[in-house]
Amino acid sequence: MNTAHKHTGDGHEHKAAPMVEEITDYEVLEIAVRELAIEHGLFTAEDHRRFTEWAESVGPAAGSRLVAKAWTDPAFKARLLEDGTKACKEIGIDWAEPTGFGTPSDYTNFRVLEDTPTLHHVIVCTLCSCYPRPLLGMSPEWYRSTNYRRRLVRWPRQVLAEFGLVLPPEVEIRIEDSNQKCRFMVLPVRPEGTQNWTEEQLAAIVTRDCMIGVALPRPGRTADVHPIHKARRPVQSSPQHGRAAE
Amino acid sequence: MSTASDVDLGRIALLEAIRREGKEWDVIAPRYGVTNPDPPWKTSLIAMCECLSVNGTLPTLDRRRAEDKLANSVYGEVPAPESELLALVHTMLNRGLVAEGDLASRMRTVRSRLEAA
Repeated sequence: MNTAHKHTGDGHEHKAAPMVEEITDYEVLEIAVRELAIEHGLFTAEDHRRFTEWAESVGPAAGSRLVAKAWTDPAFKARLLEDGTKACKEIGIDWAEPTGFGTPSDYTNFRVLEDTPTLHHVIVCTLCSCYPRPLLGMSPEWYRSTNYRRRLVRWPRQVLAEFGLVLPPEVEIRIEDSNQKCRFMVLPVRPEGTQNWTEEQLAAIVTRDCMIGVALPRPGRTADVHPIHKARRPVQSSPQHGRAAE
Repeated sequence: MSTASDVDLGRIALLEAIRREGKEWDVIAPRYGVTNPDPPWKTSLIAMCECLSVNGTLPTLDRRRAEDKLANSVYGEVPAPESELLALVHTMLNRGLVAEGDLASRMRTVRSRLEAA
């Protein structure tokens, strides 16, 4: 059991963060198979360290900054829509990292999908789990699930409703299927009530889900909170059957 | 060499024992009051998948196809990322990239090392 303790040696007190104090076979398995793979020459320890550091370094904050800059700088937005990969370098994101040609899972052709008041984009990868990782970090588990991948293209409004996003009928929904050649990200419409906001303020409301397209940015909404659940039965075709996220 | 399309969905004794133990992160983390949503080995697993793909040993698309099949069958009740780890190792064993006996032996060695006082 966790043994939180007080540390007082340097004149202040704080409790140690709780830790899992047992070694599971999953942890042991990951280490064991990695060691054997390195010993068998399947990859090197240096390669593994390099990809680990890269994976630790990516997250959705980069995408949030990209959107905020596009909202406040029309010239940048034009460059972003013209050549997403190139424009990313302006905020310090190089899709060629960490190998010089990207990772095996991140193709360097990146396109930004601009929403309008009457057009809403959502990204998916029906084939596997392609995702703009240099900008959004690792994909959430629900994005990788076959449930999301299969159902979104068939019942987009209902699936979005499960995320709590109910769009009016006059808004066209366009699903963009990522593939082995291209990565996509959504540029949402800048919400009302954000006039005169700084880029930092704007970035705070551009969450990961907004850039996937399963949520809309709005003042006060700074986190993605929804349950991961599997549908046990196929959804019906009528929007009112879509179950809002709790 | 086998391909993703003929991934063997037969259960593997070593991995079955781990699965049956039920020590997934979302089970044990709350026991200790830990709120981090991911186990500490997850990033290392991601890096291992990239390493195996970058030189063509196990391309990402092959791995993900096998993972989909396994996650919807053999490891259907196992949450991620444990299901991803089991699927990766299952695929590596299927392809002869590592041997089950070697892996079991190395696991004993690793555990002994981690539990050393």
